Amino acid sequence: MPAMPALLPLLLLCLRLLRAEPPAYPAVISPQDPTLLIGSSLTATCTVSADLRLRAQDLYWTLNGRRLPAASYTTLGPTTLSVALARLNGSRQQSGDNLVCHSRDGGILAGSCLYVGLPPEKPVNISCWSKNMKDLTCTWAPGTEGETFLHTNYTLKYKLRWYGRDNTCQEYHTAGPYSCHIPKDLALFTPYEIWVEASNRLGVAVSDVVMLDILDVVTTDPPSDVHVSRVGDLEDQLSVRWSSPPALKDFLFQAKYQIQYRVEDSSEWKVVDDVGNQTSCRLAGLRPGTVYFVQVRCNPFGIYGSKKAGIWSDWSNPTAASTPRSERTAGGCDPKGGEQNTTLRRELKQFFGWVKKHSYGCSNLSIKLYDQWRVWLQKSHKTRNQVLPGDKL
Amino acid sequence: MDFRAGDSWGIFAFLCAALCNLPTVPALNGTEELGAGQSIQKTYDLTRYLEHQLRTLAGTYLNYLGPPFNEPDFNPPRLARAERVPSATVDLDLWRGLTDNARLAANYRAYSRLLKYLRGLDGQVGTVELRHRLGHFCSSLQGLVLSIAGVMSSLGYPLPPPDPRPSGTPAAPNDFLKKMDDFWLLKELQTWLWRSAKDFNRLKKKVPPAVVTLRIEARGL
Repeated sequence: MPAMPALLPLLLLCLRLLRAEPPAYPAVISPQDPTLLIGSSLTATCTVSADLRLRAQDLYWTLNGRRLPAASYTTLGPTTLSVALARLNGSRQQSGDNLVCHSRDGGILAGSCLYVGLPPEKPVNISCWSKNMKDLTCTWAPGTEGETFLHTNYTLKYKLRWYGRDNTCQEYHTAGPYSCHIPKDLALFTPYEIWVEASNRLGVAVSDVVMLDILDVVTTDPPSDVHVSRVGDLEDQLSVRWSSPPALKDFLFQAKYQIQYRVEDSSEWKVVDDVGNQTSCRLAGLRPGTVYFVQVRCNPFGIYGSKKAGIWSDWSNPTAASTPRSERTAGGCDPKGGEQNTTLRRELKQFFGWVKKHSYGCSNLSIKLYDQWRVWLQKSHKTRNQVLPGDKL
Repeated sequence: MDFRAGDSWGIFAFLCAALCNLPTVPALNGTEELGAGQSIQKTYDLTRYLEHQLRTLAGTYLNYLGPPFNEPDFNPPRLARAERVPSATVDLDLWRGLTDNARLAANYRAYSRLLKYLRGLDGQVGTVELRHRLGHFCSSLQGLVLSIAGVMSSLGYPLPPPDPRPSGTPAAPNDFLKKMDDFWLLKELQTWLWRSAKDFNRLKKKVPPAVVTLRIEARGL
């Protein structure tokens, strides 16, 4: 039958089940699933069920899949073998180290999960921010690295100062593993007391209480509609314009802005700090004929009379613009073939073309005449890298 | 309900295949009569998708359990208590002889129970990523259970009654045995998905063509 080969494994599995079933619990390990401090020692015993006809010398131990040396074993009885583990390291995985008692042929008789770690220390560096005064997100750091060997539960709690009730934050891991997000029901103008409780199998620790007013930790979206444009023909300036972030538009009379810009192929940002609360700024001292990337961000300083600086928003998406190429510097090496790419020359060319079409005099007025004049200009400025325009004289 | 390749059936099968390649077929797809074929194909596709998802989930979960659970040749004893997880393993002749109803019912019952156990996996532990994957897998598995129910109802079979066993299964007496239970749960899921692909493949071939006949006559072809 063609289907047979594909179903052979099913048949084999079926045959395995037909063999004699082992007893429900072939052996017992003690201690079962202990919790230990890093650096502590442990002696574990494995007692085999009598009806298995196994003896202590038929057994061996593994820890996380690695066989433990026979030198650490001690026979305590005909069916009991113990193992000594010294100076335990933190658990390899939070589900516990797997200490297993095997029979000589490798079969698993019993196992015990070892939870080795440290009690938590006070969580530290609690820092919070509110997006547009609507919510509150807080992050913190664990007090010690040792508590990461065990599963440590963190609970962020908060209450209004001078009011009784403790609240518990529910939405965790919104901004990294040690973070929590409070989405609503936040009060303004009264400070909050915020703290984090850490607990694991070895103990509990509570952080110091942080007191903050929502209005002092407000951040907002980056400014919208950032436009960067040239300032007429000025080669060293660009004009930046933006709108205040929409969510707090009506409250940002005291907001501060910052601009940063860089040349296209550089990674060094230049920051303009003293922008104040206008929504436009002119960048000067720039290189001509260069592409710049510009970003703007906003700090909702002094919102609702808060005396403190808020939190800077993210930078807006970079906007690109280029400064006009300089006419006089020869650094812009113009290629031949009449390809001088100044707007002025192009426009002049168009003008002369129009004049030729529509006038009957001045027929010798042409772009060639203009080029002659430019060559004379360049010669008179004594520039070194002289490039004659492509048009013949 | 044996489908024998005889002359008239063979010609008919050819006609069906030819029809399937015509652009007019989409108009036929919307009918309830052809729903069974579509549902079976969808269920088959879903089992393949879940098989693929399970590979990643199992890898992550077994790494969380730690060695030796994540070793490729790990094969712990199947303790008596582990039998609470429905086994996909079945005698070959028995499997081939299953009626469509029995075949579907076995799948439905198995995945309903597997879903219950999966949901019961300790939701507190593991990384956020692991919990997220587990949640996503459970949703997909729920989709499979519903899909099988859909196939059964479109073929006119009654759904098996809900599991009389209490939903709160006895917890493993210690953490290591719980790890073994988790290992076997994932193993059985794997075997079931592998078996279901074959189950639905078999069912695909057995969707009664008489159903298609009715539709064609109605369109005057």
